[in-house]
Amino acid sequence: MSRPRKDPRAERQARAVPGQRPRYDLARRPETPGGRPRHDPRVEIARARVPGGARLRLDRTQHAGSSPSVAIGAMSATPPASTTLLAAPTPRVVAEPAFLVFAVADAPDGRLTGHDRQVLGGARLLADADGGAVVLLAPPLVDDAGAAGADRLLALPSLGYAPETLAAALLAEIAARAPRHILFPESPDGGDLARRVAVSLGEPLFADVEQLSARTAIRPTGGRRREQAGAPPRLMTLGEGRVAPHLGDPHEARTIDPCEPTETTPGILRAEAVPADPATVSLADARFVVSAGNGITDFTSFKHLAAALGATPGASRVVCDAGLMPRAAQVGASGTVLDADCYFALGIAGAPQHLQGIAGCEHVVAVNTDLHAAMVERAELSIIADAQAVMPALLRLLAEGGA
Amino acid sequence: MKITVLLSPGLHPLSGKPVLPRLEAQAIALGKSLGGVLSGLAAASCPDGVADALGHGLAQLDLIATTEGEDPMPLLAAALAEDGPKLVLAGRRSQGGEESGLVPYALAKALGLGVVADAVAIEPGTEPGTLSILQALPKGARRRVVARLPMVVTVHPAAPPALPYAYGAARRGTLRARRVQAAPGAPDAAPGLFEERAYRKRPKLMRGAGTGGSAAERLRAATEAGGAGGRVLTDLSPEQAARTILDHLAGLGILR
Ligand SMILES: Cc1cc2nc3c(=O)[nH]c(=O)nc-3n(C[C@H](O)[C@H](O)[C@H](O)COP(=O)(O)OP(=O)(O)OC[C@H]3O[C@@H](n4cnc5c(N)ncnc54)[C@H](O)[C@@H]3O)c2cc1C
Ligand SMILES: Nc1ncnc2c1ncn2[C@@H]1O[C@H](COP(=O)(O)O)[C@@H](O)[C@H]1O
Repeated sequence: MSRPRKDPRAERQARAVPGQRPRYDLARRPETPGGRPRHDPRVEIARARVPGGARLRLDRTQHAGSSPSVAIGAMSATPPASTTLLAAPTPRVVAEPAFLVFAVADAPDGRLTGHDRQVLGGARLLADADGGAVVLLAPPLVDDAGAAGADRLLALPSLGYAPETLAAALLAEIAARAPRHILFPESPDGGDLARRVAVSLGEPLFADVEQLSARTAIRPTGGRRREQAGAPPRLMTLGEGRVAPHLGDPHEARTIDPCEPTETTPGILRAEAVPADPATVSLADARFVVSAGNGITDFTSFKHLAAALGATPGASRVVCDAGLMPRAAQVGASGTVLDADCYFALGIAGAPQHLQGIAGCEHVVAVNTDLHAAMVERAELSIIADAQAVMPALLRLLAEGGA
Repeated sequence: MKITVLLSPGLHPLSGKPVLPRLEAQAIALGKSLGGVLSGLAAASCPDGVADALGHGLAQLDLIATTEGEDPMPLLAAALAEDGPKLVLAGRRSQGGEESGLVPYALAKALGLGVVADAVAIEPGTEPGTLSILQALPKGARRRVVARLPMVVTVHPAAPPALPYAYGAARRGTLRARRVQAAPGAPDAAPGLFEERAYRKRPKLMRGAGTGGSAAERLRAATEAGGAGGRVLTDLSPEQAARTILDHLAGLGILR
């Protein structure tokens, strides 16, 4: 019983704000007796932190740009040049690489996919251990290849779907530049390209690598009952979600000129993309899901809405249990775990079992009458409104837009 | 049209017993839907598993006997060169063995055929001597590819399901032992380069999860909303709400 007893009345009185009404400033800290400001190590570290980079880097020289506590006296005259330097770090340059690592990206419509970025991250692991450089081979990009970790950028021909020509172009680059490793994504197109290149080179392919470091590569065999491990070989395909993308400083991404590919007579005459039909695609494959919960009573409108939005319909368990939607539409832990880009929840509370099903969705939009629903907390855009009224409004607007 | 389905000796993922890989049973169904003369070709050390193909609707299966661990590629290439089929159907990956998916590509290279991967439907093309193949892409998207025969087509798991196993069909089908003259396959490039061992499960990186911080922080980053929730709008009329939602979805590029 050695702790001093608290006296709540006295404490409250100490925080009283003078005036006619009784007002208390509860946020005010009692004055420190010595008058010296207290150290707050967390705040100091946060101020000294150098932005950018995966590793924690601290600049303790007190020159750090914009922190208010430093901006007193002489420090306020910091030249603006250093702040711009901090904002855009100069790209790392590997001028004389000891060897090259090729990273081949799918990059449909010029954007690097998450899987492509992981392949670049894997290529960086292999290159950085020994002073090599990463060459990104992709169709012409709109994305920043340097930030994704490429030292060189080599544009492959983009002719729609022409894997045979693409493989011939890659083979010419491999013959000309003799890379130490060639890394592909184990995606439908990337895996196809990798196998074409492997058989043309007559070299083995270490397919679907699950773990990659500069010293070892591991891949499963025998239906994931066995695995092969060894030093990373020349040709590899990397499984999705196995290596983290490059998060460090940007690299130079200098464009280099492709060499002249050999002529091929393609067996593939033409190809045409057939977009997924949201009405028939399975929930696990869907790109955009609109889901109904217990807050929805008008399921005819809901089905019209899903069709008009071009979304795959889903539902919470309560709705499926009631037989209002088929069981196959259930989203969640005991239903389907989604892989969608966008999830639109109408009248769903957001129980943990339901949120598990949408953990992988990048964008969530919610309509709910309850401001405090868990789904509203999860969503990036929440509308607090009656979903029954919003549905017809959405349908009207979509019909106007379509007309 | 002469069609050959490549059947590999598969192992069941759980029991490890010999089975016919499901993908190759689906390839049989796909070949049958196309019409023509369908036969099977397998290089295996015993007929267990691959012989089930007869029950799944294949009328004839040629079996090339191999020794355990022998490279089937030169044998298959020699047999296919003898038969000269117009279309070779294979699985996209084998099951239970190496699972590298290289065999169809290596055969196509050896025989000078084209390859189209991941088919879910095949039909004759509008021009003679071509096929129109529906290819499976991620997220339910498809691609229609027109390619010139002869070619190798690999089958995707999203293809129509296999025909159910029928005992009568299995009894009626013929299993032929086949002998081919082939140059011995190239010896394993570097035996013992890779260590073979029991599989260890490795969790995938979670989408959106950070790489720093403690395990609890990473879990929170992966399962919670991005940062401190999003935009919350109250007191909108249904029209305003609908307009806001559609603008937001269009901004994300979700609405077509
Ligand atoms: C073992 C187990 C497994 C489960 N698995 C799953 C699963 O896989 N998937 C799943 O979904 N659930 C699952 N559940 C059930 C889960 O716990 C919840 O009960 C369920 O998700 C709640 O569904 P709901 O949000 O639609 O309904 P409610 O909890 O009733 O929420 C309805 C929401 O709608 C709002 N609302 C009401 N009227 C309106 C209106 N007019 N306009 C707008 N909003 C309105 C309310 O404010 C409320 O937030 C599981 C439960 C258990 C025990
Ligand atoms: N020994 C074999 N005999 C016949 N076909 C095979 C054999 N090995 C592989 N294949 C075919 O090639 C496909 C891919 O096999 P793999 O390259 O081993 O992953 C399989 O689905 C089969 O169709």
